[in-house]
Amino acid sequence: MAPPTADWLALHDRFYRKQEIYTMLWKQVDLSKYMIAAAPFGGPLALVRDDRKVILVQKQQPVKPSIYLYTSSGKLLEPIQWDKGRIVGMGWTETEHLVCVLEDGTVRMYNILGEYTQFSIGKEAKDNRVIDVQFWDTGLVALTGSFQLIAVTNFEEPRPLPLADPGINEPPHSWTVIPPKFTLSRHVEVLLAVNSTVLVVDATEARDERLQKGPFTKMSVSPDGKFLALFTSAGNLWVVSTDFQKSLSEYETGSSVPQQLVWCGTDSVVLYWDKLVLVLGPFGGYNEYPYDESIFLVPEIDGIRIISREKCEFLQKVPDVTVDIFGIGSTAPAAMLYDALDHFEKKSPKADENIRSIRMELPEAVEACIEAAGHENSHQLQRLLLKAASFGKCFLEIHNADSFVEMCKVLRVLNAVRYYEIGIPLTYAQYQRLTPEALIDRLISRHQYLLAIRICEYLKMRTDRILIHWACSKIKKSNDDEDTICRMVVEKLANKPGLSYSEIAMTAHKAGQSKLATMLLDYEPRAGDQVPLLMSMQEDEMALTKAIESGDTDLVYHVLLDLKRKLPIGEFFRLVNNKPQACNLLESYCKEQDPELLKNFYYQDDRLADSGNLSLLESFHQRDVVDRINKVKVALKLYQEDKNHPFEEKAIEENIRLLQTQAQLEKDFSETFTGLSISSTVYKLIIINQSKRAEKIRSDFKMPDKRFWWIRLRALVEIGDWDGVATLAKSKKSPIGYEPFVEECVKAKQFREAAKYILKCDAHLRAGLFLKIEAFQEAGEQAFLQKDMDTLREIRDKCPNALIQGQIDAYISQLASAR
Amino acid sequence: MSSSTAAAVAAASTPAQPTGAHLGHTSLNIDSLRDLARKELVNVLDSVQGKKGLILDPNLSGPLSLIAEFALLKDHGVEKIYHLQPGPLETDCKNLIYICRPQVNYMKYIAEHIHTHTRVARSGAYTYSLFFVPRRTALCEKYLEDAGVFGEITKGEYHLDLIPLEDDVLSLEWDSTFKELYLEQDTTSIYYAAKALMRLQGIYGLFPRILGKGDYSKALCDMMLRMRREMAVDDLDASQTMQLSQNIDSLIIIDRSVDMVTPLCTQLTYEGLIDEIFHIKNSFVEVDPSLVGTGTNAAGGSASAGAAPGKNKKVPLNGGDKLFGELRDLNFAVVGGLLNKVAKRINADYEERHNAKTVPQIRQFIVKMGGLAAEHQSLRLHTALAEEIMNYTMTDDFNRILEVQQNIVAGIATNKEPEYIEEMINKQAPLTQVLRLLCLYSLVNNGLKAKQFEFFKKEILETYGFEHIITLESLRKLGMLTKQVNTKNTYGLVRRSLSLIVDEVNEHAPNDISYVYSGYAPLSVRLVQCVVQRGQEGGKQGPGNRGGIAGGNGWRGFEDVLRMLPGRTFDETQRVEDGQPRSSKRMNGQPRISLVFFLGGCTFTEISATRFLASQEGGQRDFVICTTQILNGNTLVDSIVQKVPDLHAAST
Repeated sequence: MAPPTADWLALHDRFYRKQEIYTMLWKQVDLSKYMIAAAPFGGPLALVRDDRKVILVQKQQPVKPSIYLYTSSGKLLEPIQWDKGRIVGMGWTETEHLVCVLEDGTVRMYNILGEYTQFSIGKEAKDNRVIDVQFWDTGLVALTGSFQLIAVTNFEEPRPLPLADPGINEPPHSWTVIPPKFTLSRHVEVLLAVNSTVLVVDATEARDERLQKGPFTKMSVSPDGKFLALFTSAGNLWVVSTDFQKSLSEYETGSSVPQQLVWCGTDSVVLYWDKLVLVLGPFGGYNEYPYDESIFLVPEIDGIRIISREKCEFLQKVPDVTVDIFGIGSTAPAAMLYDALDHFEKKSPKADENIRSIRMELPEAVEACIEAAGHENSHQLQRLLLKAASFGKCFLEIHNADSFVEMCKVLRVLNAVRYYEIGIPLTYAQYQRLTPEALIDRLISRHQYLLAIRICEYLKMRTDRILIHWACSKIKKSNDDEDTICRMVVEKLANKPGLSYSEIAMTAHKAGQSKLATMLLDYEPRAGDQVPLLMSMQEDEMALTKAIESGDTDLVYHVLLDLKRKLPIGEFFRLVNNKPQACNLLESYCKEQDPELLKNFYYQDDRLADSGNLSLLESFHQRDVVDRINKVKVALKLYQEDKNHPFEEKAIEENIRLLQTQAQLEKDFSETFTGLSISSTVYKLIIINQSKRAEKIRSDFKMPDKRFWWIRLRALVEIGDWDGVATLAKSKKSPIGYEPFVEECVKAKQFREAAKYILKCDAHLRAGLFLKIEAFQEAGEQAFLQKDMDTLREIRDKCPNALIQGQIDAYISQLASAR
Repeated sequence: MSSSTAAAVAAASTPAQPTGAHLGHTSLNIDSLRDLARKELVNVLDSVQGKKGLILDPNLSGPLSLIAEFALLKDHGVEKIYHLQPGPLETDCKNLIYICRPQVNYMKYIAEHIHTHTRVARSGAYTYSLFFVPRRTALCEKYLEDAGVFGEITKGEYHLDLIPLEDDVLSLEWDSTFKELYLEQDTTSIYYAAKALMRLQGIYGLFPRILGKGDYSKALCDMMLRMRREMAVDDLDASQTMQLSQNIDSLIIIDRSVDMVTPLCTQLTYEGLIDEIFHIKNSFVEVDPSLVGTGTNAAGGSASAGAAPGKNKKVPLNGGDKLFGELRDLNFAVVGGLLNKVAKRINADYEERHNAKTVPQIRQFIVKMGGLAAEHQSLRLHTALAEEIMNYTMTDDFNRILEVQQNIVAGIATNKEPEYIEEMINKQAPLTQVLRLLCLYSLVNNGLKAKQFEFFKKEILETYGFEHIITLESLRKLGMLTKQVNTKNTYGLVRRSLSLIVDEVNEHAPNDISYVYSGYAPLSVRLVQCVVQRGQEGGKQGPGNRGGIAGGNGWRGFEDVLRMLPGRTFDETQRVEDGQPRSSKRMNGQPRISLVFFLGGCTFTEISATRFLASQEGGQRDFVICTTQILNGNTLVDSIVQKVPDLHAAST
């Protein structure tokens, strides 16, 4: 075995290594003729013929171009027939969807199996054409022919967002984007190299950074979004922080524009000219890797994948622990431990000596070996390093083996997905960043179900998603009859509690197997999730029932609105009628939005009184009295038909009469009356001194005496007609007694008027009433007559007049002695 | 119209002082709920770049001000705040964020805004984001689609559900629940309540036991249990590993329909009376500025509170105000005395300055003075409020209504009570007051006699207008105002077996929850008491056994009474797969907590009564009250009263 350091190259104080991962499976692919997009995290490559490059027409070459999807190991996944216009740019999303942007602003998103969805980025793009696109993992920015920028920040719900006008009239020398997660504002920023400077554009403004070193012909943002590499037309490479506050390094290459300028991890920049790859370190210095064919660089978070016709390589800075262990002449504890194992296997006593010398640092050495194992591609090295760690563990009294176990697990997973048939060359660091869940998703989308399930079971994760996806694709592809498929699917999924079947059923439905869909849907545990499918399956009644069952009223509305749209009204009502929950919701919806529908609904359900109430309510919205009366008449008719509400029927009749009377009154007195109740009408008539008409209304509507007296009393007090009040009091024996007279006068602060009626009140009330109008003397007398000791005391306390107080004291003592 | 819209709101809607300082002092750390809501709000605001205008649902500006202060909004780019109202929106903000309840009328306004904007300016001049609280709904989205503005708006959700008003009070602040739920039988709020409770369980652990009374309570409980089952679909692990709550040992759900009587009674606690007279909204009360200002000359003695709206000042009422914390739950009868005492103490504290001779002593006094000033300020406010309340409670009308009410509830009503109601109608007293008494009368007596029923209906229609045919029909549907069909006096039986009427009440040193209504114990809280203090009311068991709910007997012993009340009674136990059914361990020394959920709303007085229950438990048990909204008799009845437009602006 070659020493691990064989492929290392020193650059300043650190090492870089370039390791071959795969020999490509593809044949005769000339990368220079293609437009290429590669997904990060060891993802697939998309190749499409670059129509700007001349290509030799060969025999049997299809006339129509295709997009070819390959794994990192060069295995063809799926050719996509391309039938649309010119592709301006391609990029990959974080969910491994290939995004193709066309000249006319159409965007197509393909999954890895070539199925696509499509949207447009708007009229501006269509009119002026898209001339270039930049991508990040969750969005894209398009540059149009009129040099406007349009961003799409969310592929789930794409919405084109025009950015601020950069105000340029020619294409930028180069441009790039800073993804939202790295900017201060959390929104995307676009960097445009214009003249000798850079414009930073976001949704609100275009800011000139006022740089002098341009024009910049290439730009690249580091994977952590902190740094920006700029290549000037003079052939210099300049690295600054992305806020342009700090200049980090500058290096003269003296060359022309590189074909690619990418970051290798976060500390070095890699430039690629035809036949040459140049690695520039952060503190000057460089390494060269010559190639004799064209290649393509894929930046990763911790290095670069180099794709060539022959192979796939990985270029990275050698991790620190790895340098510690394998570095020539290293005496780091981990290196000693690794060495000790070697001695031990050779049965050399030096093993013991080594261990002794690092006794104190042994735990760190063990951990370092474990970590280093994670950074190795070669199974043999992985094994050796883990063995070393394991060997070191023996000398430790207390050691937590979790990290060891964990690393073993991770390495098994990584080795499995790195296998060339799968072709995902994930590094340990990338795996940590990507998360196991996302890795599983990627395997699912490649239909690697078995591997995905094995990994899930191994890592103790849920297998639901895999099973669902498997079932879906099984249904799509299978030719068996529906019963067999159902049995097959259910068998596999049986002992998984809480697994959602709705997606599977939906797939079956879309594949035209509605019987299967219905069978499968029965297994869905969530009522709510069954609804959308039932709706698209035209199982209307079932959908409504399930929606109600879910308790989610919004879902019920969802179904109701859909049904209302597509069914004839009669059928719609029939469906709703026997479901009280749905009826209630329909009612409250209609009350706000669709009163006509509500009337129909009430009518067909024979709810005439409710319908009548609707008309009654409408009447209050009519300005014109005649319209008002007509509406009320409609209500009356409905109530009459109904026959079950004689009281309301009579009341509505009365309402019509009232409105008619009020119309007459309005003519006679040119005052508004409509809208007033009977009592208020009478009140108003007395206020405007029309007591005769008031009296007539009273008799017309058979108003009880008590109420009529009260109204008259209050109205007269209101206009201060004290004689009127007195006349009323004297007219006949008051049906409401005389206390109200006193109280109303008191409220109007007319104490003298009030006094007139006190003696007409019940004897036991008089003292209190006198007290209210501050007639202490009389109050005292009355209280004394009633032998009301408590009131007497109260009067004495409140009375300001000493003379009267004395009198009351006399009453009190008189009463006291009488007891 | 719109300019006035634009102007005022920003200043008025959010108070300047930091909110929520009074939260987070119990073992549940309610404050964390508020922090969550706050963080999400920040995300909502940051989703749009640059400076922005915020357009708020008027019903949400209150709850939101409990979550975040204006400065926070400003820090995140909010330049102006508007209320979401009909009519065009004129603004110089280019980015607009709407935050509102998913109600169709709001969609109407928003569509109108967008239409006017596109007419005036080129399309794309404004960006619109709309956040639904707590979630987007099909109804609203359909409206936006029909209005042709769906594509213009970026839509999202702001999951604001239970808003912490106090350490022991959480509210959905969903004002229309009562009407929606019981009249329209629209169960949306149950769904939201279930979601909110599931979220609480996510934070505090599963409630080991769920008890309740009433059909909707049962529906809520069932929905929670189902949601837990369905949770397995999303996250099997979480559903299985969810622990039982360490602090909360039970959830008690009380359905408003079980006890309609209590909210109709006039509240007699301090906070309750403030609510009755001034109406507390989202824990803020609007009062005349003279009440809080420096001058103590409270407006000329008349009890007409809120006579001049518009320039009223919003004052926060919460536990952050120490004095209010002491007063809120007391019967108003003792508030005056306590205020007096506090005034004397503060005065004495001020006088201490004379004793401060040495420099350290003076410094000590100065340090203390800050607190004194705050206390003084609060004392001034509460004295003024108490004075206003006093003016109101001294009136004849108030006292006669109260007397009628108490007679009705105590079942000692004669024909004087209906007579008084008739007189109120004749005097054209506010309809809500009349209906409050009449409904109370009907509820307690199992309906009105046929003749009486017709009479009152006729009187009301002729006095207040024929639109109330609908009001009366609604009240009939709700069972609040009905015709007597049998004379069986169920309420009387309930009253007796749960001793709702307590004759001797000591307001100064109460020994029973009935102090809150000066002699009437709210049925709703009595039911809670049944569960937690078993044996005390039933009289079968000594007070020694306060076993608590988790190990206790639930409703046992009260089956007969519960049967007389409407709706189902239930007692469910939630288990976790591998554990014991109930967690026996609990944090040392910390009281167990019962969550009491009032579905359909509760009154401040019920909250006070529940707090009193806690005080009787001697630190063994605490209560946290959840509710869909806080209501009182006026707001409850008013929500049912049919409103019609006054097209003629006629004067009465």
